[in-house]
Amino acid sequence: MPLSRRDFLLAGTAAGATIGVGVLVPLGFVLADDDDANGATGASLATFPRARVGSVSSLGVGDAQFFDYPYEGTPNVLVKLGERVPGGVGPDNDIVAYSNLCTHMGCPITTYEADSHTLGPCPCHFSSFDLSRDGIVGFGQATQNLARILLEVDGDGIYALGVYRLIYGHADNLAGEDLVVVSEGV
Amino acid sequence: MAGTGSGRVPLPPTDAVVKTTVCEYCPVACGYKVYTWPVGDEGGTSAADNALGVDFPTTTLSGRWISETMHNVVRVNGERHNVVVLPDPDADVVNVGGTHSVRGGELAQKVYTPDGLTADRLTKPLLRVNGTLVPISWDMATDLVAELSTHTIAEHGELAWGMKIYSYQYYENVFAGSKLALGAIETPNYSPHHAPAEGDDVPGLSDCGIDAFSAAFADDAAAEVLFIAGSDPYETKTVRFTTWQQPGGATIVYVDPRRTFTANYAENSGGLHLQIVPGTDTALYMAIARVIVENNWWDDDFVSQHTASRGELDAEGKWRRVEFGRSFDQFREWITSTPEFALDRASEITGVPADKITRAAELISGGSGAQPKTTVLFEKGVYWSHNYENTAAIGNLGLLVGASGREGRATSRMGGHQRGGQKAAGYPIDKSPDEYDGHKLEMDTERWLVQGNTRFRWVVGTNWLGAMGATDALRKAVVELKAKGPEVTSTRYETALEQLKAQIDAGGLVIVHQEIYENDSTPYADIVLPAATWGEEDFARNNAERRLRIYEKFMDPPGEARPDWQIFAEVGRKMGFDGFDWPDTNAIFEEASEKSSGGRRDYAALVEKAKADGMRGHDLLRTFGTTGLQTPLSLEGGELVETVRRHADLQFNSDSGKANFVFADWDAVATRNEILGPDPSKDEVWVLNGRVNAVWNNMFDFVRRQNSVERWPSNFLEINPADADARGIVNGDLLSIESDGVLDQLGRAHKGGFTAVAYVSDIVPPGVTFTYFMYPGSPANNITSADSSLQPLNLRYNFKLGKGSITNLGPSGLAESMSFAPRNLAPGASS
Repeated sequence: MPLSRRDFLLAGTAAGATIGVGVLVPLGFVLADDDDANGATGASLATFPRARVGSVSSLGVGDAQFFDYPYEGTPNVLVKLGERVPGGVGPDNDIVAYSNLCTHMGCPITTYEADSHTLGPCPCHFSSFDLSRDGIVGFGQATQNLARILLEVDGDGIYALGVYRLIYGHADNLAGEDLVVVSEGV
Repeated sequence: MAGTGSGRVPLPPTDAVVKTTVCEYCPVACGYKVYTWPVGDEGGTSAADNALGVDFPTTTLSGRWISETMHNVVRVNGERHNVVVLPDPDADVVNVGGTHSVRGGELAQKVYTPDGLTADRLTKPLLRVNGTLVPISWDMATDLVAELSTHTIAEHGELAWGMKIYSYQYYENVFAGSKLALGAIETPNYSPHHAPAEGDDVPGLSDCGIDAFSAAFADDAAAEVLFIAGSDPYETKTVRFTTWQQPGGATIVYVDPRRTFTANYAENSGGLHLQIVPGTDTALYMAIARVIVENNWWDDDFVSQHTASRGELDAEGKWRRVEFGRSFDQFREWITSTPEFALDRASEITGVPADKITRAAELISGGSGAQPKTTVLFEKGVYWSHNYENTAAIGNLGLLVGASGREGRATSRMGGHQRGGQKAAGYPIDKSPDEYDGHKLEMDTERWLVQGNTRFRWVVGTNWLGAMGATDALRKAVVELKAKGPEVTSTRYETALEQLKAQIDAGGLVIVHQEIYENDSTPYADIVLPAATWGEEDFARNNAERRLRIYEKFMDPPGEARPDWQIFAEVGRKMGFDGFDWPDTNAIFEEASEKSSGGRRDYAALVEKAKADGMRGHDLLRTFGTTGLQTPLSLEGGELVETVRRHADLQFNSDSGKANFVFADWDAVATRNEILGPDPSKDEVWVLNGRVNAVWNNMFDFVRRQNSVERWPSNFLEINPADADARGIVNGDLLSIESDGVLDQLGRAHKGGFTAVAYVSDIVPPGVTFTYFMYPGSPANNITSADSSLQPLNLRYNFKLGKGSITNLGPSGLAESMSFAPRNLAPGASS
């Protein structure tokens, strides 16, 4: 079942938390789940390619597979968490994908600890990211969550549809004029 | 607005204004560049079309990527401007190549935005009328502060007038505030944000003759062995670890009750983690020293040439050095005859296996081989558990292995905040009511206040109530004092003044709170003064390696907010004091240079050179950019000469010029541990507290930072899985932590507590828990004692030795959304 943008993103407009002395702080982190999405999104999805990045049948719980998107040479990690999460796709709503370029200084992270859903520590400055919590910096020095890949499942295929949040190195995810866009899937 | 996930940030155009600054937060103090340009303009992705001079996308480790949180929109001269605060990619000191921590990396989220998360900055002076804070004019506000101050001093004496002020928030502000309080009013009722009393935070180390900030970061890199205690450098002094300590390749011996990132890094990299029972540092360090002494592994050349004899100690002018100083022979006799410092007994006390104690001794001394370059570094876990004894013990250890004055060899604090404490006048200690054995001590201003002796307190740039021990008890005392005398019922000056004077005369307490945001202390304030801060004025200060740099103004302060120095100056003038007529912050910087002379911060040579060159002091400092200059400075042939490390001449801070060992009374420590430690009969555990990576101090900025609040939507309590299982606790449960054995400011047992979300992790051992120290609404200091008489040599709190029993209040609702990921994954793990 294809997943729409509204299922993926973003409850920043609806969620809030009162902290301490009464300061109201919006909590963009609180992702909308399937049943209560509000349609808000900041991603410029329409112009990203749709590309096949994996298959449900070959992705086991705890696996980490790597693919390029939206440009060739721009790496990402695809994992099946084994735990239903907001924005997770597949029959168990637990398949997610993120740019694996560290949002600290851009080093690729390939270490994945499945038990805690942690990508990292980064080989450069040791940041690690929680892939079950929207790619938040669980510990370390990066200044934003990992860029998240918007996915859908069609049959056995897992498809990337777009990117939410800035990919390391870019000023505009869609302004890679000199980069080669990955092939569109079917 | 930044951080929206939009997948783009505007690039600074080639004509963007570029300013130099330094991170606001940790003592490493990375250099930053600030780019501002009008909203509507934008640079291009080609190198020729943007101010960074780089093609986008940028490359790995370029130091020139702007994350979404490095951008914001501010007002410059009233107009909307983009701002990018970028770690200086050209830095060749501190954060070489533009690396950064998560704290500094998001500095752009700190700035005032009238329509963003920082919109609640204080913007107008306020007066509490009929219980509500209402706006008044600056003129009326400073009239009130000046008149009430004059009245308090005239009617009740200068000890009834107190100032509680940051020790670090830039030379210019500290100088102006201390010029008023210490120089003009001459009150001893003056204390810093972190302690009940003025004075030395590391007196034992100082009595060894060692400067607390003697090391350079280059020493960390040059060291072959790093002995690090009481602070995780990766977590809280990040770039010092990632740029200097870790790449330097030293073997790390790391002391911490928690198995933090650096603990795992050390163990995975050929070093050691000494997982110490809280409060037992003195026994551990002296046990290591005893192994070194018994095996003849000490640095005999250093010890014999540079530590004092008994005769030299007896001739010292400082009484503590005479009384507690020890020659090497006395030191050896003491540690080898103290049963608790024997290997097996020390192992029982500290919880550190005997073979690890021996191995640590061998590593830092070189054992029977060549002596390595060893550097000894520590911070608050050491000196805010047992202040004098622990700082003496770690100083002794440093001296024993010759860790001082030479490349790669230092004994030093790592620092908690940056170093901006350039005061204008000495502390009037003769007026202090506190003493030890006939020797005057800086006064415990919190005890004095609770006793009803302070009638006027000016709280400047600190969350006073949350930051002191036994917070609840202090708050209750304040509430009782505030109930005395009439309420202010009018915004008219004469009426308000008379009513506030009547409060003072009735034995009450008038509180002035000068801040950038409201905090836990604001509800008790009578007058609130809005301050301008980082980025809103030109300031200067040092980092932990004594590197002096300028922090340039790049944007407007919010509303009517004024920099602290201006407020002190106006009140000083209205009180009739001379010397408060500075035209700008540079004038204070230049005046303060004279007071810095001869000390660690000495930058008099900079100002002297500036004047000789026809420049302002700030302007000459600006030419050194984010590199700055390491103080103390001197002039040789008209050129500035820096000091890379202290004691490079192997002269120490004593009359003889020699260092010395210092007696650390284990019996006093053990007695204090009995009082402060957990009571098993009440099912209590240790409740330690400290900083965490993603937030800074009382979260004055970070509670308004989206990423930080997403990571920490609540305070947390790390609890070992065994302790959690025994109490039926799982991740995300809301816990009540309470103790009825908290000692208040007068030494009375008091019940205090706080709540926090369970974070189940073996980062803490059974019987030990850990929490963030000042999360808004979760005051961990409610369970830390505030009885400074426990440490009579130097009136400090035992912040790091909290205790409590834990009750599960049920699910917090955060189990599914908050991350409970491990926070200590280090590279090279074998399992």
